[in-house]
Amino acid sequence: MATETESVLPRLTNRADFETFRSRAEERWQGMWDGAGTVVSVGLDSSSIPKGADRVLAVCRAALSSSDAIVREVSGNGALWMEPWVEIMRPGEPPVVYANIAPEEVPVLLAGGLRERAVGVRAESAFGGIPPLSAHPFFRHQQRIVLQNMGIIDPWSVEDAVARGAYSAYLKVLFDLSQEETIAEVAAANVRGRGGAGFPAGIKWESGRKARVLPKFVVCNSHEGEPNVYKDRKIHESDPHRILEGILIACIAVGAERGYNYIGGEYPLAIKRFRKAVADAERLGLIGRNVLGSGKDVFFRVRTGGGAYICGEGSAMMYSIMGVRGQPRTKPPRSVEEGIWKRPTVANNTETLANIPDIITKGGAWYASIGTEKSKGTKLMTVQGPMATTGLVEVPMGITLGTLINECWGGMRPGHTFKGIQTGGVSAGPLKEEHFDLPVDFDSLTDVGGMLGSGGFAVFDTDVCAVDFARYLTAFNRYESCSKCVPCRLGNPALVEILDRIRLGRGSLADLALMERTSKHIIDLSLCGLGQVAPMPLLGMMQMYPEEFRAHIVDGVCPAGSCPIGVPQTVAAAAD
Amino acid sequence: MTQAATPGSMPATTGDEIDLDVVRAMLAHIQPGDHQEAQELILAALQEVNEHFGYVSLAAAEVVAEHLGTTASRVYGLLTFYADFRTRPRGKHFMLLCHGMSCYALGSQRLVQELKDTWGVADGETTADGELTVQVVNGCLGVCDRAPFVKLDADYHGDLTTESFNEVLRRTIDAGGSWKDADHGH
Ligand SMILES: Cc1cc2nc3c(=O)[nH]c(=O)nc-3n(C[C@H](O)[C@H](O)[C@H](O)COP(=O)(O)O)c2cc1C
Ligand code: SF4
Ligand code: FES
Repeated sequence: MATETESVLPRLTNRADFETFRSRAEERWQGMWDGAGTVVSVGLDSSSIPKGADRVLAVCRAALSSSDAIVREVSGNGALWMEPWVEIMRPGEPPVVYANIAPEEVPVLLAGGLRERAVGVRAESAFGGIPPLSAHPFFRHQQRIVLQNMGIIDPWSVEDAVARGAYSAYLKVLFDLSQEETIAEVAAANVRGRGGAGFPAGIKWESGRKARVLPKFVVCNSHEGEPNVYKDRKIHESDPHRILEGILIACIAVGAERGYNYIGGEYPLAIKRFRKAVADAERLGLIGRNVLGSGKDVFFRVRTGGGAYICGEGSAMMYSIMGVRGQPRTKPPRSVEEGIWKRPTVANNTETLANIPDIITKGGAWYASIGTEKSKGTKLMTVQGPMATTGLVEVPMGITLGTLINECWGGMRPGHTFKGIQTGGVSAGPLKEEHFDLPVDFDSLTDVGGMLGSGGFAVFDTDVCAVDFARYLTAFNRYESCSKCVPCRLGNPALVEILDRIRLGRGSLADLALMERTSKHIIDLSLCGLGQVAPMPLLGMMQMYPEEFRAHIVDGVCPAGSCPIGVPQTVAAAAD
Repeated sequence: MTQAATPGSMPATTGDEIDLDVVRAMLAHIQPGDHQEAQELILAALQEVNEHFGYVSLAAAEVVAEHLGTTASRVYGLLTFYADFRTRPRGKHFMLLCHGMSCYALGSQRLVQELKDTWGVADGETTADGELTVQVVNGCLGVCDRAPFVKLDADYHGDLTTESFNEVLRRTIDAGGSWKDADHGH
């Protein structure tokens, strides 16, 4: 177990040292999976630990302590619905994953029971009537690049990561490729920013490389303060070295002397696992002066946020790193000209950077062969709401919305009726069943008022009122406004006030026009991306569910029955 | 994001003063190489103090400022900007109530309302008897399949209804203990 104890790592001073380290790690890895022994893996992360996965692991360890079975901690695998899960590989058999295991069930499970909980075999073909995990609808549509190690490696172990290929792209960039060649691969991959805006990473890196002022910095934006997504924390929890490698490659490519990772302070496990990865990379000599004798220096700092959504905005994030209030500033100058400590700074989202290692090893052309014409590669997507198989998936860009909802996420849970799906978090509007055929990529949802954004979707059922949901989304932006500029600071509270009037049954039809006018002011006049899109969820709700707004105002009824006007009159009448 | 001043929320037990020597000892490992790095470490230092004591008092903020060569007003400016920090002591029990989109869609609003109606406490406040401090999380706690979801002291509770929510709160308060028994961040 590699957990938080300091592992004894060699100091690698040249490329050959690394190759030796890698072959040893690979040997150890293959030895573990050669089928001779028993290997038990339990997925531990921020979603499974609250369900008791840590206790399941402890019981497994205790039960097998006197056997020669290997018991391992891995991360969750994104399938929140199967947690806590245990994977068991018995001699001569492939690894089988068992779902929803309670600590007290472990003895029975280890004794060969609970076969009905087997969800799949982590292998190509079925075993003993258990289908491959990859055939499960949740996994069937997935193509895992960023998540390829998720639930498979021990996230505390640099040996596991290296055995599965970590840092080979970094070595290529250190020794074989010029800065231009590295950036050319990223440009050929046409990987667009995963933080929401979709800006091509290759172009940003090239501006960074060309910047004249020294030193330069690279920042990974792992803030993830949106209320609708949990992807970046999961990359940290499952494969921290992949993120670190992506950042280090970016540093070399643009000539930055220091990389940063700015992680949301609410994600303690993500922070711990990432810090461990950095410490191990430092011990190995992958960070520091003259890395592996390449003549290149690169340093690293981890910084954590304090729970302010606005600090995900690029300039606010940099202020936060510099220890001041995270309030955005006007641009230009752009961050690649003046970022942290007024030095050129390239900022990318975690997922963007986690894609980089495979782009370097397999080539930009390979990456560009996945996805749609304008949105290349895969995208991490999360769902919230009453779905049957809730979780994080990695699917090729262009998958249809309907496939995501009905296959990956298993459709609605029994007892819930689909009403809509909120897209783009707090920055866009909802979509309905009529949009299920749309491909999900950077551009297709925007035409109908939705947005891919960072890939967090929230499905809501008929119990959720469109007016109330609009109020929730607008109130989020009101609360998170940094208060720097007037349209956002005063406009959003005004919208919430009007929405409250409507929720209480005191609205008028003129309020609808007033909200549209106020929204326009906020959108046109706000300084940063928060204010500029803050009214979009409200406008989207008004566009998709105009009849509900009218019902509150004209009929004095909340059709979903959740607003304080009271229960729907029809229902009340029926109950009489 | 600024914490509203909540005069009514001072817990009954205000004897919970922060021992500044402990703060100094906690900060000892933070050794910035230059003034820029020192500034980068203010937030981290405050996070440690906040985690340990449940809040950062003005006096503790002054110690942080002194240690990192900056002013107390700068430090206090950060404390009141970032939502994770509290400037008043926590009650005996501490609840993070998730108000992310999964939790919203499955009824967290009803729990917020229940806190107001039954327990007389709103976001950022502490009950008059000093038993419970509530922080509504304007983000996602990551256990969306069990929404609505709360973390209460060291324990997690999901799939909550108004009834099970009240029951969990009552049970936790009756059992004694406090948030300090929690393992800090898993
Ligand atoms: C209010 C606001 C919040 C944001 N939050 C995040 C965030 O949490 N993570 C992120 O990567 N980008 C966030 N962004 C986008 C960043 O400003 C920036 O575009 C992005 O980090 C650049 O990386 P990318 O090109 O790889 O996407 C946010 C933007 C705004 C306006
Ligand atoms: S738009 Fe809102 S969040 Fe952005 S700078 Fe203005 S006040 Fe701050
Ligand atoms: S929204 Fe509450 S746990 Fe994700």
